Amino acid sequence: MADSPATESSVAAGPHALRWRPFHLTAALRRRILRALIVVVIFVAFVGGLTAAFGISILQYTLYGFRTSAIVIVAAIGLTLIYGIRGFANFAYGDLMTLGAYVALFVNVNAQLSIIWGAITSFFVLVLVGIVLEILIFSRLEGRGPVAPIVASVGVGLIIQNGIYVVAEAQPRLFSVSLGQEVQIVPGLGISWLRDGVILGVGLGFMLVIHTLLTYTNLGKAMRATADNLELAKATGIDTKRVTYATWALSCGFASIAGVLLGIISDVQPLRGVTSLLLIFAAVIVGGIGSAYGAMLGGLVVGLSQEMVVPLLVWLGRPDVLGIPHADAYNVAVPFLILILVLLFRPSGIAGRQAAIVPRGVLAGAIAKARAARRTRLAAIDAGRKSG
Amino acid sequence: MAIDTGILTNVALFASFSIVYAVLAIGFNLQWGYTGLFNAGIAGFFLIGAYTAAIITTPPDPPTVLGGVVIVPGHWGGLSWPFVVGASFAMIFSGLAAALIAIPTLRLRADYLAIATLAFAEIIRRVTINFDTFTGGTNGITRIPRLITYEPPDPFAGGMVLLGVGALVLLAVFLLLHFTLESPWGRVLRAIREDEVATMALGKNTLLSKIQAFALGGAIMGLAGALFIETKSYLDPQDFAPALATFPIWVMVIVGGAANNRGVIIGAFLIYGMEYVSVLLKDYVASNAIYYVRLMIIGALLIILIIYRPQGLLPERRRVLK
Amino acid sequence: MAILEVQAVEKSFGGIRAVDRCSLSVEPQSITGLIGPNGAGKSTLFNLIAGLYRPDGGEIWFADRRIDGLPPYAIVQLGLTKTWQIPHELKKLTVLENLVLAAKGHHGDHFVNLFLHPFLVREDEKRLRKQAQSILALTQLEALAHDEAASLSGGQKKLLELARALMTDPAIVLLDEPVAGVNPTLASGLMDLIEQLRKQGRTFFLIEHDMNVVMKRCDTVIVMHQGRKIAEGPPETVRKDPVVIDSYLGG
Repeated sequence: MADSPATESSVAAGPHALRWRPFHLTAALRRRILRALIVVVIFVAFVGGLTAAFGISILQYTLYGFRTSAIVIVAAIGLTLIYGIRGFANFAYGDLMTLGAYVALFVNVNAQLSIIWGAITSFFVLVLVGIVLEILIFSRLEGRGPVAPIVASVGVGLIIQNGIYVVAEAQPRLFSVSLGQEVQIVPGLGISWLRDGVILGVGLGFMLVIHTLLTYTNLGKAMRATADNLELAKATGIDTKRVTYATWALSCGFASIAGVLLGIISDVQPLRGVTSLLLIFAAVIVGGIGSAYGAMLGGLVVGLSQEMVVPLLVWLGRPDVLGIPHADAYNVAVPFLILILVLLFRPSGIAGRQAAIVPRGVLAGAIAKARAARRTRLAAIDAGRKSG
Repeated sequence: MAIDTGILTNVALFASFSIVYAVLAIGFNLQWGYTGLFNAGIAGFFLIGAYTAAIITTPPDPPTVLGGVVIVPGHWGGLSWPFVVGASFAMIFSGLAAALIAIPTLRLRADYLAIATLAFAEIIRRVTINFDTFTGGTNGITRIPRLITYEPPDPFAGGMVLLGVGALVLLAVFLLLHFTLESPWGRVLRAIREDEVATMALGKNTLLSKIQAFALGGAIMGLAGALFIETKSYLDPQDFAPALATFPIWVMVIVGGAANNRGVIIGAFLIYGMEYVSVLLKDYVASNAIYYVRLMIIGALLIILIIYRPQGLLPERRRVLK
Repeated sequence: MAILEVQAVEKSFGGIRAVDRCSLSVEPQSITGLIGPNGAGKSTLFNLIAGLYRPDGGEIWFADRRIDGLPPYAIVQLGLTKTWQIPHELKKLTVLENLVLAAKGHHGDHFVNLFLHPFLVREDEKRLRKQAQSILALTQLEALAHDEAASLSGGQKKLLELARALMTDPAIVLLDEPVAGVNPTLASGLMDLIEQLRKQGRTFFLIEHDMNVVMKRCDTVIVMHQGRKIAEGPPETVRKDPVVIDSYLGG
């Protein structure tokens, strides 16, 4: 994410927004793949060791962990994109996910079409919703600081959530889709090949989509530039308004997909999305705000930790250990604890850029802004010189 | 004659609930309007105060066990101490929780603080529901003793007593804040809100002052919790969902005007009035939809106010140094 | 024994080295000037000394105590105060409130004292208001005591900066362009005041671009360029130093 996209004048959004750049297997790329493989090997060894020590349930929860991670990653990518560009935490995101699930439900159950059509319809409906939200509400809050859009997003969330209550039943509903039964590979390790495969596959698929978009298309480069420095992006001719709309569209679209996936593994009810909101925030912050790759890592960390900690909690909850009632239900606290630790010790997250601490950082932030403004002016002068 | 006291009792109950939310909103106003700390976890401090007061003031309530299985978890405590003690401990524990939360999080920028406090409130609510042998879980806590017990039960007199106590508490909180905000300490807070870096450069430990303000705000929210259990007479963890105990408070403070306690009290009565009207209407409309529509209106208010009139309906009152 | 010592201090922002192993010292009871072309790192150095930034390297010593890494409020408590180049007046507070706020050791600053020692708080407030009034008189702002700070003119805001700094009872004051944008009569009066206060035992370290002020008023002048000290000495010597002249022309 370190390359500056501002030098190429072809970055301006327009009919050629999705032009492709060539793909090279460079030495740097080879090194990164090698490092990723090493991490995978270590992880497999780690899980293997845990399984030997604690039993087969570890593997089961590892599988649940990957499944949860897939959904969280898709959601977190959507959330982090809009966080990076508009600079605020979208507290309506959980409700947008729920809305996505309900639209798909309507298409799937009421209109009796396949769930695929449900997902596609849901995606486009949410894309529209995102753009409308930007036009009606969030464009008017530009430059008002981080709190105003949070308050507005809470309002949006309340409207969506309670609107769903008014229009649809409060009862949990299920998608009408048959994704196979859970099959026991080994006693204690069950997997529903089609259902879990679909979830993991869709998750991976969308990760690839966003990676391709961000790295190889002009729109993606424009998005990264705008998230990095709005003024500089404007000065180099990027249509930041279009980029913002595109980001809202993507963000809400991803929300709808995450909502549908969530509905597939559990159910569709008005509060389903909201209960995941903090989990997704945790993934975004752990990964670093504004970084889609950070969101992937953060989602993995958060999803795996939430599920894999359950056997440990069950053991702790036993009467002969700590005797806590419903110990397994505390697993939702684990991502929260990770979030607090990250906020305390590394607020910028794994891949993030912005400083999160205020008092001494305030001056540094002001200086950084002044220097960025100076860079913008110089860049504009340069651009003027080149064209003039 | 009986009808009149009935209506009066009803109105008194409305006023008592409004007072609870007004106190809650004043606590938030101290944190946000006067010190600039955006607390998205108001519900959490409200909850701590309510449960502390309930555990202290209710009679013992051991679990109901049938054949070795716990059917009704009961709850911990049950010390049957008087309300004043319960309210005092409510303030202490909420204030302490606020201080503990504040120490690691107040240096974070505003949106991180919002996320952290929201997370705190949600976790504390889920822990409360989970730890049911301690807190009664989803059953909540019942049999909360009234402030004065009348034999035979007299709802009108009881309602009046509750209203009187509530009004006294509201007045006390209002005066307390007025006093502290005019004080030198309050001046430091105003300076922090104005320009924190300049205040630091003048030798003030702004982090400490902010922690103190946040803790005081939390303590006031705890007091609101204690009042709440008396007004409602039973405790249900669902009442502490963010949509009921955090977001409406934001609306009350934005409506009334940040840093304007008088306006905030008016805002509380207005917004709670909406809830009260919706509960009344529900009997006539015979549908749950009214409950949800009310929350949608709150959502719409949040959006409209923050875009068009974030300074509130009543402006901050100017201060004159005498 | 220098009252302020900067030893090999470094500070970078992103890739830019604002302060590059800068070392200098300020003698007690002096009026020392800090000059240099734009971007030399003077204001950054002041912010480092005052604790608003943390140095990436080096040490800062104030009267036998190491102060780099301390939070700003602690440094003020020790007796070092900095003013702002662009006045940071607290707009909605009155001029008097701005000053009383700056006082050290007000019992009313601590929340618990409001309840445990209310009379002490009241006494402190009375005493410090009187003290503030006298400092306002010194800086000729007493007529504006009850006006909102936002309503002051630019020059008056500069005076307010100095008045606030004095209220903290500092041993050394770092002044960032104290007379920039101030009319010459007022500027002269301000510098006279500084001279007066110096005689009472305070030290003044000031950044200035107005060469008349520097030449006439400073005992010593330190020159910074590209983040480090390039010259030091009495004003006349520094003025003729070819290295210094070069830095201003080269930029």
